[in-house]
Amino acid sequence: MSVIEYDVIIIGAGVTGFTAGTRLAERGLKVAVVTTGEPTACLSTGCIDVCNGDHNPLHGVTHLPEEHPFHLISQAAIREALDNFANAMTDMGIPYIGTPEENRRILSALGTYKTTCMVPVTMQAAPQNADDDIHIITFSGLKDFYPSYIISRRKNASFSTYDAGVSTTMGIAANFEREDFLETFIPWLGKLNIREDKIAFPAVLGLESAAKIVKKIEDRLKRAVFEIPTIPPSMPGRRLFNALKDYFRKKGGTIYWAWPVAGVEKTGKIIEAVVTESEGRPNSLNARAFVLATGSFVGGGLHAQRDTIVEKVFNLPVHVPGLRETWFDNDYFSFNHGIGKAGIIVDSSFRPVGSAWENIFVCGGILANTEILKSGCGHGLALATGYAAAKSCAEYIR
Amino acid sequence: MIKTDVIIIGGGATGCGIARDLALRGIPHCLVEKGDFAAGATGACHGLLHSGSRYVVSDPIAAKECYDENIILRKIGEKCVEQTGGLFVRLPGDSKLYRERFLRSCEEIGIPAEVISSTKALDLVPNLNPEIEEAIKVPDCSIDPFRLCMLNIATSQRRDGIIFIRHKVTEIVKSHGHCIGVKATDQVTGDIREIRGNVIVNATGAWSHLVASLAGNEVPLTLSKGSIVITNHRLTNMVINRLRPPSDGDIVVPNEAVCLAGTTSLMVEDPDKSRIESTEVDTIISEAGRMIPHFNNTRIIRAFSGVRPLLKSQKSDSREISRGFQIINHENGMYSIVGGKLTTFRLMAEKMVDTIMNYYGLKTPCATAEKPLDGQEELSGYPLSKRLADMKNIVCECELVTRQEVERIIKQTGTRYVGDIQHRTRLGMGPCQGGFCTFRALGIMHEKSIISPEQSMSALRDFLQRRFRGIRYCLWGDQLREEQLVEYIYLGILAMEKPQ
Repeated sequence: MSVIEYDVIIIGAGVTGFTAGTRLAERGLKVAVVTTGEPTACLSTGCIDVCNGDHNPLHGVTHLPEEHPFHLISQAAIREALDNFANAMTDMGIPYIGTPEENRRILSALGTYKTTCMVPVTMQAAPQNADDDIHIITFSGLKDFYPSYIISRRKNASFSTYDAGVSTTMGIAANFEREDFLETFIPWLGKLNIREDKIAFPAVLGLESAAKIVKKIEDRLKRAVFEIPTIPPSMPGRRLFNALKDYFRKKGGTIYWAWPVAGVEKTGKIIEAVVTESEGRPNSLNARAFVLATGSFVGGGLHAQRDTIVEKVFNLPVHVPGLRETWFDNDYFSFNHGIGKAGIIVDSSFRPVGSAWENIFVCGGILANTEILKSGCGHGLALATGYAAAKSCAEYIR
Repeated sequence: MIKTDVIIIGGGATGCGIARDLALRGIPHCLVEKGDFAAGATGACHGLLHSGSRYVVSDPIAAKECYDENIILRKIGEKCVEQTGGLFVRLPGDSKLYRERFLRSCEEIGIPAEVISSTKALDLVPNLNPEIEEAIKVPDCSIDPFRLCMLNIATSQRRDGIIFIRHKVTEIVKSHGHCIGVKATDQVTGDIREIRGNVIVNATGAWSHLVASLAGNEVPLTLSKGSIVITNHRLTNMVINRLRPPSDGDIVVPNEAVCLAGTTSLMVEDPDKSRIESTEVDTIISEAGRMIPHFNNTRIIRAFSGVRPLLKSQKSDSREISRGFQIINHENGMYSIVGGKLTTFRLMAEKMVDTIMNYYGLKTPCATAEKPLDGQEELSGYPLSKRLADMKNIVCECELVTRQEVERIIKQTGTRYVGDIQHRTRLGMGPCQGGFCTFRALGIMHEKSIISPEQSMSALRDFLQRRFRGIRYCLWGDQLREEQLVEYIYLGILAMEKPQ
């Protein structure tokens, strides 16, 4: 069995894990992220939701129920986490716009508005009300985008269809990275003589270079251009994930990809190592501290059984919101399903409450009482808690 | 106004069977159904074509009827029946006395029943509990109830039968105390259609007392709810029954890529308000798990309840009420046909039509037992190879349904309901239960101008709400994980609003 030594091992390669990892690496620590595979960030809109209960998300946060993990973090720390994120993304070529003091809206693929806080610059021009005239471009055979949903909810909107030669989200996005494709596409777009002020696209404008591609189309057409996120696979989500991953590597972090954690080694109150399995060979990854950022159910951090909910990496105690009957309401749209409260309860240092271990820090979607859909706090919570848990972890190591 | 001879109310197996029977005897008829075909108990059953053996001990007459119909349906309906065969397994502790009575009754009725060792049974169905004492092999089959209705209706349609689905009968038209027609409301447009006929047949199952009351008639019914869970895998290739008196969770039926396990039996008042409960799901899983241990850790993708329309009886346990059927002549131009089983639907239709023929002194004999079901030749027209050849146009990844197939159904039926596409293609029947493909199917529907874009949002909302009713009680493990993802997509990414 090979043994590798680190200061901190982070389990989970999502927004939370990379945020915590980058923060620790920046402090000169030797950090590795261990993951089974791509995170749920790749399925997301790429937008940073902080709290949708108030026009000012930082005010909104203060009104969340008292058990919400946002209350473990100061306003200054939340702001710092978001500012650092914005700087990092600009550095990585996928700039974000927006401030922690103000929510904004983006147009969804159903034509509704999604309230969020910081958005990729490719969504900057999204209309804020139904009055803006928009022209939508879609692509032949693209099965995850239907302009008519949007058109039905707007005063003035129309659409055109382009045959990109491929019909998948990823395939079209890859085409947009090609100069020759753009040189055919942009003239076609020009010939449509679009009258509307804004041109909307499903979020397929490039794998990585969307910001540049949007700019290029805007410059040539003299029209504002924006992307509309739709159902997974999500290009803005993948761009976010890739940027966070590359930024973490740039800061000196290591990633163990497709290395599921199969066990732990422990002594007293200390976790010594996680044992992972790769290519059938066990590897022991030793560290002084561990950050658990494996997400909620979709991410794979929590597992529901018929009568309880478990966390499988460290077998930490999980807050189970009542009997199974109460995990979900009968009303699908209640936004208040009990299951939203499931997760790990932590103390002010992000250590799991009720567990014996002193060198585990827990953050992100796996935390209890986040109620992500109800409070509208997705990636914002990931950034803030990842940041705060890293701080706590760094203090422990020092 | 439409004029016909026989008006059939109800598009379940019985109603569709009556339409086919009338068509083959050349009698003009019109069928009116308030929802889609097989929307009631027909579509909410476990899809078992009984060999009759389930009832040999408790109800030999019903058992004999089932066995005779089993043979007929295997012959005339090859494409909607899968000849799986069935096993009755005896677990340690199950009564030997019941086994003896079971075998004796099978012999008396003439149902082939072969005792096989547990080793042989495990050869046939490797997922069986290795602790079973023995098994009895019977000719149970699996049947697709929706397809069965469609094939029966095909005959009617080919012979000028008039069919209205999504039309609810809201009034029975009478003249001098005699029923002469119905008024049916189009559930989409609200338009009212009047149909006149000489005879009205009420084949509305659990709703038959309500329909009868429109004409001032009474149907004494006991409603019994039965619940079923669906697994994500086909855990057995044969129907598996428990060798004991009928009780909760005693049957597992394979159907296409999945298995259906059931059932429960609880009296209910209102057929529209019956709901499955968590305890029923748990009971079915643990009981089915005794026969097939994998059941305890397999993924359950949905659960649902159907309401059995049983003839009223003094018996307090609905399992003891006969599964036989009865034709009620209300003496005012309306007949109600109640009770019975999916397996005996053809026989019920035959007897119903015979009754009408007698009344009018007509002699044409029933032909439904001899002629193969119409439309079966079209059923194999969409094999897996064709679906996979068009990989990039697949809109439902779970069940491999392509865009062309969805468009074909839209064109053929002009439907405005995702549910209609689901029934006809299996779209949305897989593990994600329509989580991804419904957004697409509705998108295609208003692209084709079948529904206005304005309707699409409420259709999507209705669909998600209805869909959730079926999975709400099966949420743990991977199914919960998938559900959280779907919720995140619709309420998060697509920002669906809370209905006002």
